[in-house]
Amino acid sequence: MTRRTRIRALLSLLVAAACLIAPVGFAAASTVGPATPALRTTYAQIEGTGSTWSELIVQQWIADVDANGMKVVYTGGGSSKGRKDFAQGSTDFAISEIPYQGTDEQGNADTSNGRQFAYLPIVAGGTAFTYQLKIGGQQVKNLRLSGETIAKIFTNQITNWNDPAIAADNNGRAFPSLPITPVVRSDGSGTTAQFTLWMDKSYPSIWRPFYGKSGLTSYYPRQGRAIGQAGSDQVMNTIAGFAGNGTIGYVEYSYPLNKDYPVVKVLNKAGYYVEPTQYNTAVALTKAQINQDPNSPLYLTQILDNVYTNADPRAYPISSYSYMIIPTGSTDPRMTTAKRQTLADFMYYSLCAGQTKAGPYGYSPLPLNLVQAGFDQIAKLKTADPAVDLTSRDVKSCNNPTFDGKNLSKNKLAQIAPQPAACDKTGAGPCGYDTGTNQPSTDGQQPTDGTSQAPAADGTSPPTDTAPVVDSTTGEVVQAAPVDPAAPAADTGTTTTDTTGTTATQPQAAAADFPVPTELAAARPADTKTFSWVAALLLVALVLMPGVMATKLRRRPVRRGQ
Amino acid sequence: MDRRLALTLAFIVSTVTTLTGLGLAVLPAQADPVQRASDSSFTTTKTLTRTFVNDDGSTYEFPANTVTVEASQTKELRGRQRIQISWTGAQPSGGRASNPYGEKGLQQEYPVVILQCRGTDDTSLPLDQQVRPETCWTGSVAQRSQIARSDGEASWIHDAAADPSQKARISGMDPFPSDQCPTADAAELYTHLTPFVAASGKVYAACDSAHMPPEAAVGAAFPPAEIAAFTDESGAGSVQFEVRSDVENESLGCNDKTACSIVVIPINGISCDAPAIPASVSDSACRKGGQFAPGTSNFANQGVDQAVSPALWWSASNWANRLSIPITMGLPPDTCDVLDPRPPTGFYGSELMAQAGLQWSPAYCLDKKRFKFQLNQMSDAAGWNLMESGGGVAAFVSSAHKRTGSEPVGMAPTAVTGFAIGYNIDRPDNAGEYGDLKLTPRLVAKLLTQSYLGSDLGRGHPGMAANPLAMMNDPEFQQLNPGLSQTTQEAGAALLSLSNESDIVDQLTDWIAQDRKAMDFVDGKPDPWGMVVNPAYKKIKLPREEWPLLDTFVPQTSDTCKQNTATVYFTQLAAPVTALRKVSDALLDGWPNVQTKCEFDPTTNTFKQSRVDRQTYGSRFMLGVISLGDAARYGIKTAALQAKEGTFVTPNKGSLAAAVDLMQQEAPATGGKGGKGGNGSEASQSDPAARLAPTADPKPPTGAVLDALTRAYTLDQADVRRSKKAYPGTMVVYTAAKLRELEKADAAKVALFIRTATTEGQQEGAGNGELPAGFLPVRRTGATGKLYRTAQDVADAVEAQVPAPSEEPSPTEQASTPPVDTSTGVDTGSVTEVPSGDVPTDQPVEAVPTSAAPTVVAEPVAMPPTQAVSSELGNRAVPVLLVLGLLGMALTTAVRLFVRPRGPLS
Repeated sequence: MTRRTRIRALLSLLVAAACLIAPVGFAAASTVGPATPALRTTYAQIEGTGSTWSELIVQQWIADVDANGMKVVYTGGGSSKGRKDFAQGSTDFAISEIPYQGTDEQGNADTSNGRQFAYLPIVAGGTAFTYQLKIGGQQVKNLRLSGETIAKIFTNQITNWNDPAIAADNNGRAFPSLPITPVVRSDGSGTTAQFTLWMDKSYPSIWRPFYGKSGLTSYYPRQGRAIGQAGSDQVMNTIAGFAGNGTIGYVEYSYPLNKDYPVVKVLNKAGYYVEPTQYNTAVALTKAQINQDPNSPLYLTQILDNVYTNADPRAYPISSYSYMIIPTGSTDPRMTTAKRQTLADFMYYSLCAGQTKAGPYGYSPLPLNLVQAGFDQIAKLKTADPAVDLTSRDVKSCNNPTFDGKNLSKNKLAQIAPQPAACDKTGAGPCGYDTGTNQPSTDGQQPTDGTSQAPAADGTSPPTDTAPVVDSTTGEVVQAAPVDPAAPAADTGTTTTDTTGTTATQPQAAAADFPVPTELAAARPADTKTFSWVAALLLVALVLMPGVMATKLRRRPVRRGQ
Repeated sequence: MDRRLALTLAFIVSTVTTLTGLGLAVLPAQADPVQRASDSSFTTTKTLTRTFVNDDGSTYEFPANTVTVEASQTKELRGRQRIQISWTGAQPSGGRASNPYGEKGLQQEYPVVILQCRGTDDTSLPLDQQVRPETCWTGSVAQRSQIARSDGEASWIHDAAADPSQKARISGMDPFPSDQCPTADAAELYTHLTPFVAASGKVYAACDSAHMPPEAAVGAAFPPAEIAAFTDESGAGSVQFEVRSDVENESLGCNDKTACSIVVIPINGISCDAPAIPASVSDSACRKGGQFAPGTSNFANQGVDQAVSPALWWSASNWANRLSIPITMGLPPDTCDVLDPRPPTGFYGSELMAQAGLQWSPAYCLDKKRFKFQLNQMSDAAGWNLMESGGGVAAFVSSAHKRTGSEPVGMAPTAVTGFAIGYNIDRPDNAGEYGDLKLTPRLVAKLLTQSYLGSDLGRGHPGMAANPLAMMNDPEFQQLNPGLSQTTQEAGAALLSLSNESDIVDQLTDWIAQDRKAMDFVDGKPDPWGMVVNPAYKKIKLPREEWPLLDTFVPQTSDTCKQNTATVYFTQLAAPVTALRKVSDALLDGWPNVQTKCEFDPTTNTFKQSRVDRQTYGSRFMLGVISLGDAARYGIKTAALQAKEGTFVTPNKGSLAAAVDLMQQEAPATGGKGGKGGNGSEASQSDPAARLAPTADPKPPTGAVLDALTRAYTLDQADVRRSKKAYPGTMVVYTAAKLRELEKADAAKVALFIRTATTEGQQEGAGNGELPAGFLPVRRTGATGKLYRTAQDVADAVEAQVPAPSEEPSPTEQASTPPVDTSTGVDTGSVTEVPSGDVPTDQPVEAVPTSAAPTVVAEPVAMPPTQAVSSELGNRAVPVLLVLGLLGMALTTAVRLFVRPRGPLS
């Protein structure tokens, strides 16, 4: 064979191959891309009830998937109602904070009534403590409390805001005498269950005598001053109302965020007071254990013991997941192929793209392991009904903000989570930042290697504690001695006492290193200055005016007389 | 007074004429219902008789009823669309049920049963395409089957029109499914099954809830649509009937390919065959004519005469009386693919956009050249903050908010819509729904300020013991809306509204603020009937973006439950919610959000307060703030709000356009909302350093032209007060996006969105990318022309992205307002990039030497965030006092100087 013929043969082969491949390629191209109406998935409306803890984001997801032709109806009502409705077969799914309990705290059955189901984690979040506490008409927005203090407040052991334990939590900043009114849920609530579970695990000696037994409850045993309200909305209304001064209640972080209301920074194991932002919740939940036994009825439910004690300085202790309960029986009387498809695609959206908005709405996106586990549960819908199409609905195609395709095992969010500010540490601060704004309180330091790296020289050089100055008349802390040993300019705030006798702080520029310290000054420097000028001027006028008047009055008759 | 009354009356008449002319009574915000209705409305008439065959073979015939049924729209329907069904000439109903839907409506007499059924009423078609009782949807067994009834409850076995097989002891299915339904076949007892045949062909025996289609679960979250509607004493009635497509109800299966019908069965009483001699119990049961007089109610849910009840709608003589309305479902819109790999681009903000967002998003995701648009609803302020912080590419807001960054924000008018006060009010004596509600700012102020007592519990409230219990007892309301029931309901003391910050609340309260009478009331002056404002709200500053719950009154009562759950009563009445959609749902369900139901819960051994029960049909009274989009989509009635004194304007295209005509671009000085309403300290700001920044960019480096793009059009309610046509609740929704430092790709998306939304997005219709009802289309010309032009300019500016200003604000500016400008001057570059909002450590230190005066640097740090706006009074009073003091000084000096020389001169 000559060289030329060889080339010719090669060419003809190539052409032939191209002819063969091209149509296949075109065919492939025509099937990819946006679905054509002919390929449209058939959906049918699904209905659910349950948790108000996760309701705000679920409602947003429902609005989102409407554009995909999915109709989902979710009406809240509380986790207990959700589980009950699902068991009675009146809904297609339920959302609950806790799994079926077998028997509930009152001894009533809490089971699925024989209906086959699976738990599917849908969104993470922090149970926040929102409160209204005013000092001299100013709302406190940076309260911090330890878990023990919180447990004592909700079990009526600490009943006044001037309690020394609260002052101690706030680095000595004392609050005025005002009775504490806990606001609890009156309906069967997963938020209550999460909160009481945390108390039961972390402070059994406080919780159990109050409850009279051990374990969690969905119905808070309200006593004494506490107020019961139905639904998270109403808890929020009661606290934010004008009569709410002195109240504190528990709701998902999204509620105070939505209302622009402060939340308590809760003390974690590392000694930092932190807010349940998406970052702090994500960090805390890295220690969540998931029941991995597929044969257990509690498969995929959460074991949060290590979350409560997570030693990362960023971890928010009372973090948890919400679950969707989906029917997996192949003969489930309510389910059809179209409904299962809707459920599968609704969950696919929620676990993936839907998680991107968890942060802005006050929740925290689910990490990979839970998304992965969620897909395993969705797969059960296909097991029940082979006609369900799960093609391409997997982790790889998932638009979830906590992981990227390159390294699936890392929780991206927990890695970029900012470290808490130095003034958030026990014995320091408190920071002047407002809470409930979805902004992490931080000095801007971020770990580079993912290990917990506390900001500021922790332990080695304890904060130079200047005793807070309390105004003798109002009981307000007017200076909280913002001292950060790590700050470059070590000269701390200079305390000046001006003519009006009010103590005010004028920290130097270096103080701007960390969040602005406690702000509850009885007066601002600018105010006192201007007011003292005004006072002086008025005094001068007061002294001079009678004389002038007298002169004027004395002279008049003289003029007339002339 | 008389003249005013006459004027009001004249106005009412004119409003009524306008309303009826537009056919707006039920679809208030509907864009052009007349034209739409005429497209596919449907009318049919039938004469109904009831005859008894006497034992001698003669017949007795009751007077005939000639019933005419009209449907507002029958073609191209969408799932959950509500169409109006009205009728005349029917037998007046009696024993009205508190809820006419589903099985709750069974205990009524002579109602009009309205069902959605698969198939059409055409005997020429094959049987499976014909409408039959077996293809008619009901949500419960009791509505379709009679199981094991005694002969006193078996009147259908004497139906003169029925086939003999239908009169057997057990009937309805052949062979009878005794194995499936063992309890149905009981000796001596009568059973009739009306099985349901699903679209798939599957037959459900309908003998118990286990043998019903999946959509018919007991206690389902989705309420039933089928209704046993009430006919008033003149023989007329009307309802909004919700149509379900195969997406909502797969078993019923109505879609663009499967024809369906709405079957209207006016219950006229069963015609009975010849009785046995002597007449059996069932014979006389068949001949009963009802226990309830026309117009009466049966809220106690007592038993009714079966022969005239809706339970036997399937019985031959009732079924023969049916009037069928053929309907066609529209093509389902093309929808986005859930597998679309493109990440969604979120626009955050106003819930007013909800309905438009639903229709618009498929038009973006289905086009490869566009992007995946997504509307994330949250408060305007939260959306704005996300947009500024870079969390969202753009925000939907209805006003320019306080800027926290230094980048100019373009405001592109995108949609004209607004809010409405939606209501459910029934006229007394079952005379139908009230459709002509008028509200003055003072009435709304009374509701918002919680000045109605609610119930006797509220009487102990100090300072307003003599006030009416609720709106229906208020003479002002009665004069304006005559002829309504005066029976007090707690829901009549509340306007269900939003609990969080919103531009809607701002506009609603601004409408109140511009009314002298309303403000006199708020400021403490009693109204002409002696009603005073709740002292807790006296002199509340209006307008405001967030309505606070200010009352603290806890009633004293002897009720054990209320004692145990003592809480602020008026807060339980108001119970605001976080989303407009929840208000719409509450109105649709007739379920006020009043949280005063107090009961003992035996399972937990505690007392608790919760939401009251649903209101009963015939005595509903509820008001709530909703979006015009929702009002149009769900057919919620909307109140006419007062514009010019004595003029009440309903939301419609004309009144929205009239309001747009009044709108003007706000002056730069009022560019920020944050300072408004005195709630600045509560405004959510992300960045403590930036919080001290000025409300408006001190010297925008971009020139006056660009500056105009950052300003919103505002509807001055003072202008509305002078107009007779403008609807006070009109609001423009803007797409707000940064004109600087927005990523190029995002900027292109936003510009594309603005251009698309203001052109093809303004085509009215129910299709993908079209503008839904409840919105006024933005056009190149006419009233909305200015909005269109601004939108295009902003789109260009967003796409172009203005370069960053070449220089920092000049030192002289810093000196003039030291506490503010220093921080911004230092931070201009850093504020946006540091999410925590911290001032980086080194910058202030560096700033010390370079800054003009070190004390100036210390100042901004010394001012903690909440104090910046801690005392507005102080801020204003100090300079005033200062000036007064100086004036005093000057005066004394002047007097001295003036007086002294005159002495010697004279």
